[in-house]
Amino acid sequence: MSGKEITLIVDGREVAATEGEMLHDAAKRGDVEIPVFCYEPKLGEPVGACRMCLVEIEGIPKLQTSCSTPVRDGMVVHTRTDQVKHAQSAVVEFLLVNHPLDCPVCDKGGECPLQDITMGWGPGKTRFTDDKRHFQKPIELSPLVAIDRERCLHCYRFVRFSQEVAEDEQLQLLERGDRTFVGTFDDRPYVAPFHGNITDLCPVGALTNYTYRFRARPWDVEQAGSVCTLCPSQCNVSFTVRDEQVKRVVARDNPDVDDGWLCDRGRYGFEMFAAEERVTEPRLKGAAGGADWQAAIEKAAAGLKAAGVGKVAAIVGDASNEEGYLVQRIMREALDSENVAAGRAYGILRHDLVDISQPALSARVRDIDAADAILVIGTDPLHDSPILDLRIRKAVRRNGTKLAVATERPTTLDGGADAAVRYIPNATGAFLDDLVKSLSGSGDGESHFGADASQIADVLRDAEKVVVVWGENVAWGDGRGLLALAEALNIAEHDGAGMLEVPELANARGLREVGCMPEAGPGLSQRLGGMGVAGIRDGLQSGEIESLILFGVDPIRDFPNTARWKSALAAADHVVCFSMFENKTTALADVVFPLESHAEKDGTITHPDGRLQRVRPSASRPGDIRPNWGILAELSLALGFDTGISSQPSAFAALAGEVPFYAGITDGDIGGRGIRWQEGPAAAAFPTRPEPSGDPVELVFENEPGETTYTEARSYDLDVSTYRDLWVGPITELNPPLRFLSPRQTLELSPGDAERLKLEGGDEVTVSQNGSTIRARVAVRERMRDGTGFLIEGTASDNANALPDLAGTIAAKIAKVGE
Amino acid sequence: MTEFPYLKDQDAVEVQRGPEPGGVGGAYRAFGETLRGLKTTMARLIEGPLTIQYPEEKTPVYPRFRGRHKLHKFEDTGLEKCVGCSLCAAACPADCIRVVAAENIPGDRVSAGERYAAVYEINLSRCIFCGYCEIACPFDAITMGHDYEMADYDRDDLIFTKEMLLAEPIERTPLRAEGE
Ligand code: SF4
Ligand code: SF4
Ligand code: SF4
Ligand code: SF4
Ligand code: FES
Repeated sequence: MSGKEITLIVDGREVAATEGEMLHDAAKRGDVEIPVFCYEPKLGEPVGACRMCLVEIEGIPKLQTSCSTPVRDGMVVHTRTDQVKHAQSAVVEFLLVNHPLDCPVCDKGGECPLQDITMGWGPGKTRFTDDKRHFQKPIELSPLVAIDRERCLHCYRFVRFSQEVAEDEQLQLLERGDRTFVGTFDDRPYVAPFHGNITDLCPVGALTNYTYRFRARPWDVEQAGSVCTLCPSQCNVSFTVRDEQVKRVVARDNPDVDDGWLCDRGRYGFEMFAAEERVTEPRLKGAAGGADWQAAIEKAAAGLKAAGVGKVAAIVGDASNEEGYLVQRIMREALDSENVAAGRAYGILRHDLVDISQPALSARVRDIDAADAILVIGTDPLHDSPILDLRIRKAVRRNGTKLAVATERPTTLDGGADAAVRYIPNATGAFLDDLVKSLSGSGDGESHFGADASQIADVLRDAEKVVVVWGENVAWGDGRGLLALAEALNIAEHDGAGMLEVPELANARGLREVGCMPEAGPGLSQRLGGMGVAGIRDGLQSGEIESLILFGVDPIRDFPNTARWKSALAAADHVVCFSMFENKTTALADVVFPLESHAEKDGTITHPDGRLQRVRPSASRPGDIRPNWGILAELSLALGFDTGISSQPSAFAALAGEVPFYAGITDGDIGGRGIRWQEGPAAAAFPTRPEPSGDPVELVFENEPGETTYTEARSYDLDVSTYRDLWVGPITELNPPLRFLSPRQTLELSPGDAERLKLEGGDEVTVSQNGSTIRARVAVRERMRDGTGFLIEGTASDNANALPDLAGTIAAKIAKVGE
Repeated sequence: MTEFPYLKDQDAVEVQRGPEPGGVGGAYRAFGETLRGLKTTMARLIEGPLTIQYPEEKTPVYPRFRGRHKLHKFEDTGLEKCVGCSLCAAACPADCIRVVAAENIPGDRVSAGERYAAVYEINLSRCIFCGYCEIACPFDAITMGHDYEMADYDRDDLIFTKEMLLAEPIERTPLRAEGE
């Protein structure tokens, strides 16, 4: 787009536009509405399939489609002449020829563009008297989406979504002419992680959600804007609420966050809010049924107080900024302990975090769109932050952005990448070292650790605007490699270049910044002496920690070495667990408090790019659930410390008062779209990079992923590493619509390893290490490194976390079941 | 005419008054109208009482009278006509209809379409009997009946459920004959 400012005349009004812009958009800015069906800029280039947007342009004898006609200077356009009106009503009449007009039973009724356009631009009657086309209806396009082929307008929207946005290429219009119908190859179900978006896109009721089937009409419901907190993407959503219950989740376009798409986790995950396993009232160990709130808070406080000085700890997981802030205040101020950590096992050290989070180094999500090159390192966005996957694809497809992928495990982005390499699990540091050397031209050109860093360096070398999308694990324990990379790529110097983290926790950034770190308080202020997650576990076993708060974490499922966690929790004198669902961890807790879901919560969270967003209460809380900030404030009071917090706004004000770079940001600034603190009033207050002090400090992190020696002669079959699958956890298990996606334990192997171990895809094997054994099904995958297999963390049965942790990789014995 | 500075000419209206009190005009004003009224009274007196002995006896209503609603079924198949589309709820100015739809299970159909009303409730204590619901319904599934006897002891009992609306109502209201 040249970006030249031009003017044109639409219906007698002068409209300013940018050259190359589509006429429909320019007209819209001039307040002239042109009806469209197939035009949707989010889907890329217009296709001009429906002919609804015809307009008259002076100098062109035939009517033109305004959605696919770029504006020119001095263009004179008419949208209301008789000729145009005739064409519009003819198109509507034509589109309705085969449309069944079953609006009363159609789920789209009331919010249907076809209804609106027919009323606004249609002829009001039809001359068509023959039989309409009939299909069987509705049929399952996927277990979640119903398709009614009779209603389809053949607008190509969902085809374009599947081919140009999600790039799964599964959906097609089959046959030609008046026989055209939507479908998939061989009628296979359309199963893809983003496929729910097509129900938002379809301009008629041809594609509808089974989860929302006949649940409500637009006038029965309220739309409540909030934010999805199921992963770090933090997509903006709108909950469709009827009778105070969430009935549907739809996207709320925010180009700075999600680009208007949602993944199926966020879209269909809501039914778990009403799961039977939901904790809906406080509970005390050994007592049947729910407990009185006051009694539960007193019991929790008594247990925490009973522990010796400094012998308490807290681990935070799924929490808002306010909740995290309150937990760390309870720890630090009410209980005088620095043992507060967020996450699963490892973490990023404070000074690394300060370095990496410098505003000059941080990328906005939007920067991905305009980047020259993108490096994805140590993360598979599809599993860790799904919406970034679509964002990166968009940049590659539309802007020709170069993409380099360096990971342990194959990612879904490999196919479109200019270079994709696999390094040995745990060798991220060494790989980064190689990469930095290659970038500066001092590399030896050899591939260490199985990955050829020079391939990646070639892609990145000449690019100016480089966005590095890095998985949290890259900086675990030591962030120097990442910083060196940022320096080698000159990121601080280039506008539009930056680093974007993909953390493990949805609100990891917020939790760190409000002080849920053993060595950093609110605002990443330096603190000393706290224990990390692994330290807390060992402390529980050795008696160094007696009492524990778990907030939104399930260690017996999600943390490495679940068996050790189980005995650690059993050894604890007192465990206070805040949990949304009953699980193995709550079963061991002395006091269980219910957690709110993200549809019920009121609070703020911070996007990995620094955007503060507000989660707003949309639905009613089931049972006797109370606001979590309130419980924490009361717990603090019962411990003899008054936080002075009496509402969500006061909680936010308190935390903004303590996090210097959040200062001055008000709820109004956050609004519906959020605000990046880097663009807020106090960004300059971010801690400065500490001066390097003489000798580099030797960083020994507890359980730091160590390097394993790779030798040919070994007593085990395979190095096995783990990954977190998108579909693992309560989201599929406790949520009937998604249950079919709940993954079974799978051992992924390279074809070479499969041959060496004489295994084939589908075989059942046992994977054992140090006396622990789990069962898995073999899947042979291309693009894997020989010598490394992958298991899924956190599955319902045969959880890979049950294998004793060897910091990342597990040297495992593999045996085929039945041999 | 008094001058009101804020009034424009055309805004001022002159009041027409009757004759001043006293004299013939005064007597007419005192008794004339009274006598006229008494004439009507006397005339009705001769007609005899017209009181209808409700509830033993009821006033017949016109066929277009809008009383308590009825939901209908197809006579041949016995399926409900209502498909739970909620259009009546959208049309209702008093917001007193609540429809929760559900999907028909093949083999155990409730209505003729894909969906049916699992819950259909009209809060008759709020209804203003405007008949918009009847007009909105694309399937003639709901119509206004003639029954106006809906008083009850409990407000909750005024929320009529689908079963109550579907049940053949006891016709308690006589209809006016043609031309009556
Ligand atoms: S199903 Fe919907 S989105 Fe797809 S072509 Fe038909 S009308 Fe368009
Ligand atoms: S990508 Fe993440 S934040 Fe977005 S809808 Fe999915 S789970 Fe929610
Ligand atoms: S008669 Fe009018 S007020 Fe009563 S239910 Fe129908 S639409 Fe509503
Ligand atoms: S009564 Fe008629 S308008 Fe109301 S829900 Fe049923 S079919 Fe729709
Ligand atoms: S909107 Fe222009 S052709 Fe469909």
